[in-house]
Amino acid sequence: MEKFRVLGEFFFSQIQGKPIYDHRGRRVGNLRDLAIRWEGDTPRVTGIKYARSIQKHIPVDQLARINATHMDLLHELDEESLVPLQPDEIYMGKWLMDKQIIDLKGSKVVRVNDIKLFWLQGRGQKYLVLNAVDIGFRGLARRLGVEFLFRRMQNHLVWWEFIQHPEEKTASLRLRGDKQQLDQLHPADLAEIIEDLDYKKRADFIEELDVEVAAEAFAEMEVDTQIEILEHMNSQQASDLLEEMPPDEAADLLAELPEEKSDELLNLMEPEEAQEVRELMVYEEGTAGALMTTEYLALAPEITVAEAFIQLRRLAAEAETIYYLYLLKDDETLCGVISLRELLMADPEARLQDLMQTRLITVQPQDRDREVAEAVNKYNLLAIPVVDDDNRMLGIITVDDVLEMLVPDRGSLETFANIFVSKRAMK
Amino acid sequence: MGPGIITSNVDNDAGGITTYSVAGAALGYKILWVFIPMIVALVVIQEMCTRMGAVTGKGLADLIRERFGVRITFYAMVGLLLGNLGNVMSEFAGVAASMELFGVSKYLSLPLAALFIWWLVLRWSYKVVERVFLAACLVYFSYIFSGYLAHPDWGEVARELVVPSFSFDRSYLVILVGVIGTTIAPWMQFYIQSAVVEKGITVKDYTYTKYDVIVGSIMVNLVAVFIVICCAATLHQHGIKVESAQEAALGLAPLAGSWASTLFAVGLLNASLFSASILPLSTAYFICEAFGIEAGIDKSWGEAPAFYWLYTILIIVGAGFILIPDIPLIKVMFWSQVLNGVMLPFVLIFMLLLINNRDLMGEHVNRWTYNLISWVTVGIMIILTLLMVGTSLFQA
Repeated sequence: MEKFRVLGEFFFSQIQGKPIYDHRGRRVGNLRDLAIRWEGDTPRVTGIKYARSIQKHIPVDQLARINATHMDLLHELDEESLVPLQPDEIYMGKWLMDKQIIDLKGSKVVRVNDIKLFWLQGRGQKYLVLNAVDIGFRGLARRLGVEFLFRRMQNHLVWWEFIQHPEEKTASLRLRGDKQQLDQLHPADLAEIIEDLDYKKRADFIEELDVEVAAEAFAEMEVDTQIEILEHMNSQQASDLLEEMPPDEAADLLAELPEEKSDELLNLMEPEEAQEVRELMVYEEGTAGALMTTEYLALAPEITVAEAFIQLRRLAAEAETIYYLYLLKDDETLCGVISLRELLMADPEARLQDLMQTRLITVQPQDRDREVAEAVNKYNLLAIPVVDDDNRMLGIITVDDVLEMLVPDRGSLETFANIFVSKRAMK
Repeated sequence: MGPGIITSNVDNDAGGITTYSVAGAALGYKILWVFIPMIVALVVIQEMCTRMGAVTGKGLADLIRERFGVRITFYAMVGLLLGNLGNVMSEFAGVAASMELFGVSKYLSLPLAALFIWWLVLRWSYKVVERVFLAACLVYFSYIFSGYLAHPDWGEVARELVVPSFSFDRSYLVILVGVIGTTIAPWMQFYIQSAVVEKGITVKDYTYTKYDVIVGSIMVNLVAVFIVICCAATLHQHGIKVESAQEAALGLAPLAGSWASTLFAVGLLNASLFSASILPLSTAYFICEAFGIEAGIDKSWGEAPAFYWLYTILIIVGAGFILIPDIPLIKVMFWSQVLNGVMLPFVLIFMLLLINNRDLMGEHVNRWTYNLISWVTVGIMIILTLLMVGTSLFQA
C-alpha cells in the first residue's frame, strides 16, 4: 500500500487571514474560510474562499504549498476554475469553529476552540484534511493571539474520528464516545483504533486510557507499533504499561529496544516484575524460551481436588491460561499435568497425584519455535510446558503465542490518513 | 409564564430603585412620561431574545460565540463579567442598606442573605426557583402601596404620564438619562434567553412567552412609576433631595407614615435579594455558554461544576466586598455602570444581527417594520447609555 506523507500540519487559526500568492508571487487574496466536504470519518478541504465579496473558491488541488505563513498556488488564478459552495459542503470557519461539542449523553463539554489540519501527499495527489479539534485552553489562547503565554501547556486535541457528523449545520457536534466507553472496547478493537492513529497521537491516546486497558490493547499490537509507542511515551508511563503486560511479551518488546532504553524501563518497573522479565529476556529470539511466559498455574500434587479449586480461584486472574494445571514437586520439577475438564469431573476428595497425567509433552528453552509449533499441533495442546534438562518447570507457551508466530503480520496501516483515503477510494 | 416577568422585575434592582427615588424626589411627576416609551423598548428587546432562545435553543452567549468568534466573545465576556460583578456588589449593598433600616447589622444580614440565595439555587430545580422568583415579583407591589399611602395628586400623575415634558436643565438631563439608562442592561438579554432555553420553550409555545414579556415590562414600569410617585408626592413636595433609596425610605416616614416607609424598605430588600441571585446566575450562564460548558439550575453540581462555582464565587465576592469596612463602593459602582454602558451597544447590535440571520432564525427573522422599531429603539438606547456613561465620567 502506498504511503501518505505528511507535508505539514497547522491550526486553522494560524492560516486564517494569511495571504495567497500565485506561481509568480503575486498576491491573489487572503484565506478567509475553507470549504469542506465531510464524508466518511475525516472531513477534507475542497476549496479556499479567498475574498470577502467573491462567493467562489479556489479548488484545493491548485495549492502548491501551504504553511502557517502563506499559501502558494500552482499557477495563475483562473476565474474559470473557481467553484461555488456545493450543497454537501460547509464552511469550516463559519460552521465548525466555535461550535458546541456535546458528549453521548447530550451534556455540553466544550467548544471547538481551533481545528488542526494535515497537508498530506499520496496517490499522486495532495490532500488537506481536518485532523483534530482543539478543545484546550491553549487553543483558546492561540485564537486570542496570546499562545506564547501558554507554550508549556499541552494541546488538548480530540481526533476527528471521534466526532459524529452533525445532521444540520446549526446542530452541535457530538462525540462518538467518551473515555469510559473506550475503556469498554475489546482490547483487540482498541489496539486497532490505536494502530490506525498516527504516531504522534498514539502515545497521547494510550496515556489517556486506564493503564490496565491500555496494557491489554497494547499487547494486541504489532511489535513495530509497540516500540514506536514506547519510544514516544514518557518512561514512567511506559514502565507502568510493561508491568501490566504478560512478562513474555514485555520481554520480547524490551529485547527490541535499545539496551539503554530497556535498562531504564526495567529499572523503573517493580523489582519483582522486572526480575521475571529479565529472566525471560536471556533467551534467544526464535526459541521456546523467548516464546514462553512464566504465568502458569502450578499446584502441589498432594492436595485434593477441592483444595485445588480454592487455589485456582486465587491464582486464575494472573495466569495466562487456566486449562492446564501443572503439578510441581518441591524442587520445582514437573511431575504431572491435569486439565480443567478433568478437575471439574473429579471427586472433590480425590488427590491430584492420583488423577494427573504423567506422560508429559514438554519442550526445552533452546528448542526452535518450529519444533514447539509441531508439538502443539501434533498433540492438540492449548499450552505446552517448557522445562530444563533437570525437568524443572520454566514456563509455558500458549497456543495463541504459537499462532502469532505462524501468522505473523496482520495488515498494518501506516497512518489514519491511509485509512480514510482508502475508504474514500473504495466508494 | 416566567422568564419575562422575572427578568423585567430584576430591572428594578437596588440601583433602579435608587435612580427612581432620586428622580422622583428631584423632578417630581415631570419624569413620568418616559415610562410608557420604556415599556415599548423593554418589550421590543426582550421579545427578540426570547424568540432567539425559542427558535435556536441556544443562549445569547452561545450564538455570539458561534457567529462572531472567540475573540469578540472573550473580551465581551470579560467586560460583562466585571460589569456584573460590580452590579452584584451593589445588590448586596442594597441588602445591607435595607436591613440596616430594620436595625440589622450588615455583618449578620449579608452572610445570611448570601447563604439563602446560594442555597435556594443550588438546592432546588428550575421550576421551584422560578416560583420563588415569581413570588418575589409580587413583593414589588409593596411600592404600589407605599405610593398609594403617599397620597399623590392622581390627576397630575395621569397628565404627566402621557404629556412629555422636557427641559435642557443639566440636572434634569442627567436624571433622565440615568432613568432610561438603567432600564436595559446587558445581563438581561443573556438571562432571559438562557432562561427560555433552560425552560425548554420552543416556537410552538412561544406565544405565551410573548405575553409574559409584555406583562413583565408593564409590571416593572408600573412599579417604577409608583416609586417616582411616592417620592414625588412626599419628598419632592417638601423639597427634600435624596441620594439613595434608603434615604428615601427614611424621608418617607415623617411625610407618608411609617407604613409607607416600611413597605418601601421591604421593597428594596426584596429587589436587592432577588437581583443578587439573578445577576450571578445570568453571569454564570453566559460565561458557561461562551465556553461551551454545561450550565443550568436543573443540573446538579456534579453535572455543571463550572456553572455553580461561578455562581458561588460571584456571591461570595459580591457579599464579601460589602463586608469590608470603608470600601470605595461608589467608585466600584461607577466603573461597573461605565462597563455595562460600554458593553450594551455591542450586545444590542449583536442581537439585531443574530435575529436577522436566516441561517439561524429561518422564517422567524424580524419583519421590516419590527426591524425599524427595534433599530430605532436600539439606537436611542445606545445614545442614551453612552450619554449616561459620558455624563458620569464628566461628573467624576
